Amino acid sequence: MKTSLFALASIALALTLSACGLTQTNTPAASGGAQEITVTSTEDACTLSETEVGSGNLSFRVRNEGTEVTEFYLYASDGLRIVGEVENIGPGLTRDLVVGVTAGDYITACKPGMAGEGIRGPLTVTESAQN
Amino acid sequence: MLANYLIGLREGLEASLVVVILIAYLVRSGRRLLLPRIWAGVAAAVVVSLAFGALLTWGPRRLTFQAQEAIGGILSIVAVGFVTWMVFWMASHARGLSAELRGKIDVAAEAGRASLMLVAFLAVGREGLETALFLWAATQAAAGSAATTAPLFSALLGIMTAAAMGFAFYKGVLRINLSRFFTWTGVILIVVAAGVLAYGVHDLQEAAILPGLNSLAFDVSSTIPLTSWYGTLLKGIFNFSPATTWLEATAWTLYVVPTLILFLRHVRRPIAAPAGEAHTDAPVEARLQPVS
Repeated sequence: MKTSLFALASIALALTLSACGLTQTNTPAASGGAQEITVTSTEDACTLSETEVGSGNLSFRVRNEGTEVTEFYLYASDGLRIVGEVENIGPGLTRDLVVGVTAGDYITACKPGMAGEGIRGPLTVTESAQN
Repeated sequence: MLANYLIGLREGLEASLVVVILIAYLVRSGRRLLLPRIWAGVAAAVVVSLAFGALLTWGPRRLTFQAQEAIGGILSIVAVGFVTWMVFWMASHARGLSAELRGKIDVAAEAGRASLMLVAFLAVGREGLETALFLWAATQAAAGSAATTAPLFSALLGIMTAAAMGFAFYKGVLRINLSRFFTWTGVILIVVAAGVLAYGVHDLQEAAILPGLNSLAFDVSSTIPLTSWYGTLLKGIFNFSPATTWLEATAWTLYVVPTLILFLRHVRRPIAAPAGEAHTDAPVEARLQPVS
């Protein structure tokens, strides 16, 4: 009993500690935090509020206005390597993806129905002064 | 709002199946006294996941994508290790039943007792964070300016359906003849655990910790869409992914084949019985029947 309690506590602690090192701030870009990009995913469209942003922490607020479950992916320029992803965005929900990105070309994709290539579009990240 | 309902159902099934079999096992082997440990593990997983999810939803920081995938992936693989150990513990324990009934001290049970809580914790907690983040997003939608409670309501209904299915499965499993019960629950757990392993591998592939995310062994997404009810059930119960990578398929096969062979050999090996005592299943069953 003591052992399992100890193990549980260790897991909880490990999770919290790893989270501290592996999180990204959610404070606005103006104060050196994440820049917010709103993504609207529907059955046939994936609309980003901006497609050219500065490097650093990006915060995608993905809103599902379709009727199927959607996912949002940020791919590297090869369109294969996942830079960031958020799953299980049910209809009517908004979920966040916070990801640190360097300057370069990226590809975004919404995947209504959770399958296939998704609805893809470009995202250009420029070198920003604060980074 | 069928889509949110199906997410709740899938996440609920993923969390409950292993726990349901554990409970059935303990009840069947006359160890109801140990059930509070299972519930404690489940409760701990739910509380930790919801609290951590709330902190990430409303707190000042978000988890990076890689960190979330790594947590889900690593916990899944660790959970497989524990479930596998559990299956073999259950098997040796079943073999020891007659010995136990003769009043011998069951050392295996004591060792298992301490770990029951951890197994239940991992089984529920491995994907608990993702479920919690999903539920909190639905709560935000209910509290936001648009104020739509439908997604949250549907998601909770999905989780409750999963719980009801878990209960029905439990009742069904208890009807299995005792001589086959431990073999069947073991086989089911091994197949479920293989799915969890493949799932963990996929999480680590998405986080680019493991390679080969885009080398698909097969893609049947058009035949078995994840958005369908049967796609949901296959995913929720067996963690079947319609688009499976080669690495996932390899990990699944390399786990399931040797583990099943070892397990079946283990349960079929005759128990070294004292001379003159017949070890058929029938007497054991007859003696144990009042338990359930």
